[in-house]
Amino acid sequence: MNLELQKGSRSRILAAVILIIVAIFVARLFYLQVIRHDYYVELAASEQQSRFTIPASRGLIYAKSGENTVPLAMNQTVYTVFADPQTVTEKEEITTALRDIAGGNIRKDFEKLLDVPDSRYQILATKLTRVQADKLKEKNFSGIGFQENSQRVYPEGNLAGQVLGFVNAEGVGSYGIEGYLNEDLEGQDGLLQAVTDVGNVPLTIGNNNVRIPKQDGKNVVLTIDRNVQSKVEEALKAAADRTGATNVSGVVIDPKTGKVLAMANLPSYSPGEYFKVSNVGVFNNNVISGPYEPGSTIKAFTMAAGIDTNAIRASDRFNNTDSIRVQDRVISNATKGITGNITFETAMQWSLNTGFVTIAQRLGDGEQITREARETMYEYFAERFRLGQPTGIELSSEAAGSIVAPSQPTGNEVRYSNMSFGQGMEATMLQVAAGFGALVNGGSFYKPTIIDGFITENGFEQIEEADPVEKGLVKPSTSNEIRRVLTEARRAGFPGVDRSGYNIGGKTGTSQVIVDGEYSSTQTTASYIGYGGADTPEYVIMVQVSGKDKVFQGARDALPIFTDISNWMIDYLKIQPKG
Amino acid sequence: MSYQQNNYYTSRRQQNWSRNQNTTRYVSAIKLGPVAHTVLIALMITVLGLIYLTQATRATGYDYESQRINSQIAELNEEKADLQIENARLTALETIKNSAVAREMTAPASTAFVE
Repeated sequence: MNLELQKGSRSRILAAVILIIVAIFVARLFYLQVIRHDYYVELAASEQQSRFTIPASRGLIYAKSGENTVPLAMNQTVYTVFADPQTVTEKEEITTALRDIAGGNIRKDFEKLLDVPDSRYQILATKLTRVQADKLKEKNFSGIGFQENSQRVYPEGNLAGQVLGFVNAEGVGSYGIEGYLNEDLEGQDGLLQAVTDVGNVPLTIGNNNVRIPKQDGKNVVLTIDRNVQSKVEEALKAAADRTGATNVSGVVIDPKTGKVLAMANLPSYSPGEYFKVSNVGVFNNNVISGPYEPGSTIKAFTMAAGIDTNAIRASDRFNNTDSIRVQDRVISNATKGITGNITFETAMQWSLNTGFVTIAQRLGDGEQITREARETMYEYFAERFRLGQPTGIELSSEAAGSIVAPSQPTGNEVRYSNMSFGQGMEATMLQVAAGFGALVNGGSFYKPTIIDGFITENGFEQIEEADPVEKGLVKPSTSNEIRRVLTEARRAGFPGVDRSGYNIGGKTGTSQVIVDGEYSSTQTTASYIGYGGADTPEYVIMVQVSGKDKVFQGARDALPIFTDISNWMIDYLKIQPKG
Repeated sequence: MSYQQNNYYTSRRQQNWSRNQNTTRYVSAIKLGPVAHTVLIALMITVLGLIYLTQATRATGYDYESQRINSQIAELNEEKADLQIENARLTALETIKNSAVAREMTAPASTAFVE
């Protein structure tokens, strides 16, 4: 018997068929496993693996409270309760439980939402606390789910609202430090990519698991002192009640470091309830984003320029006639009658515009505010004291203001005569306060800062105190002389308001406001800037009072706010009297 | 004709080896055929598979334990954060100012410094 396959035999045909089938299998497997390899690997991974975001915690914001730190902004986990109306069975029980437990967090007409046809997701209540959510979870209602969210809370309420800013519904910081440091505060979410079981629990099996740890946001400690901030807000509120002003602002800085101890405005808002604000202008921090004509507070800078360049001495005299002509304009004093041959020190005490226009003239040829005089004033105002330019403070929406340079067509003699008493230029309160700090501290300019340090795993890490940005803005003798003039002017003009044994000096400002392109006679802004301390200045305070269609005066409306805060600061900082 | 004797050196160690050398060869009476071999190999593979499965299951068990501990940590952190917020609210300046103790306090008439 011949066992060999015969040509055309059935066995041979079967072998050929099997071979073809095997070849088809091999070809198909080659296609699936080699050519479509990446596609199927990806498909398998998408079915077997899940990606989880590990949310980073937003950094906390702290304030100082003496030597301690206290939280101003924190994070709280809150819960949203939602229902799947198609699987809800115990409607009455759910309604009763939500009313009893969720209280004010339930949505209006939430009962009706349980009956919405063809809907699988209806939000019944929002912002429930963990305790409330736990009580509801215990009921184990079918068709009811919980979603965790992180919410920013501000335990001090309205305190430092405009300094802090807020975190909006998308979790993005807006305004204030929340806006400026948003990237640092929000941190970076982590990622977990892993094979999961049916309950979506990540397992360690699998070769392609990825775990990128989260990076929590930085915990920032502000230079703001909670107690000083509270005192300033209290003083501003009292001033608003007393004067009827709609806008009142104040800032306190340490002239030895540039640290901002308090910064407040009225009207204000609570950052935790930012959504209740109807006028978005309230979000702006007027101290840094509302440049204005600072008025007579600038006279201290003009006198400093005159003394520092040896153009004048405070004891030098000029003939005051209550008005002075500059080109085609006549500039008058607000206070009349202190006429005759008087000193510049007297001009400071009575805030006489004519005296400061005269100083500007003496910076030139003594008769006119020449180009050279204007260049000198510009150098002192803009380049040395940095008025009209952002300070670089770590808060969002800082405005620049403007100082018109003599090289510009509008930088003429009339403008610079106005600038000598703080009109015709724009600066923010913080710029003026920072420049004034340099003027009274001996001539060292410190960049205003609001960040004192960070809280890390190792505890509080204070930022090293920065060296002054520039030393020798004015000679120490000029600084001493200006301090003496301002202290004497305050003692003579407002005797008995300050605690005895301390050097308290300052300058009032009453500036006209431009309304419809012209200076209004029915609207003014009152300011006061001053310093306090025993032998050396320990604090600089600037306040501003304004309101639409209202006339305010520096001495009457702004100075009492300074006095109130200053006398309190002496006790708070435990400053011992001189001698 | 002279007689020459060759001496070959044999180490003691070599002698010892020789001493322990088996002189009898034992042959097993059990014969394993190809089927038995296949079954044994299959059994070995099964045992190895079971060992692998046991280890993998044990690792997965740790995953569940780890998940449970992580949830517990998260819950405790949440509780801690809630307590910190409550503490901050209770020690907030506004709360302190409105407290009964603060309302009873009066401002000093004067302050002085001790030398």
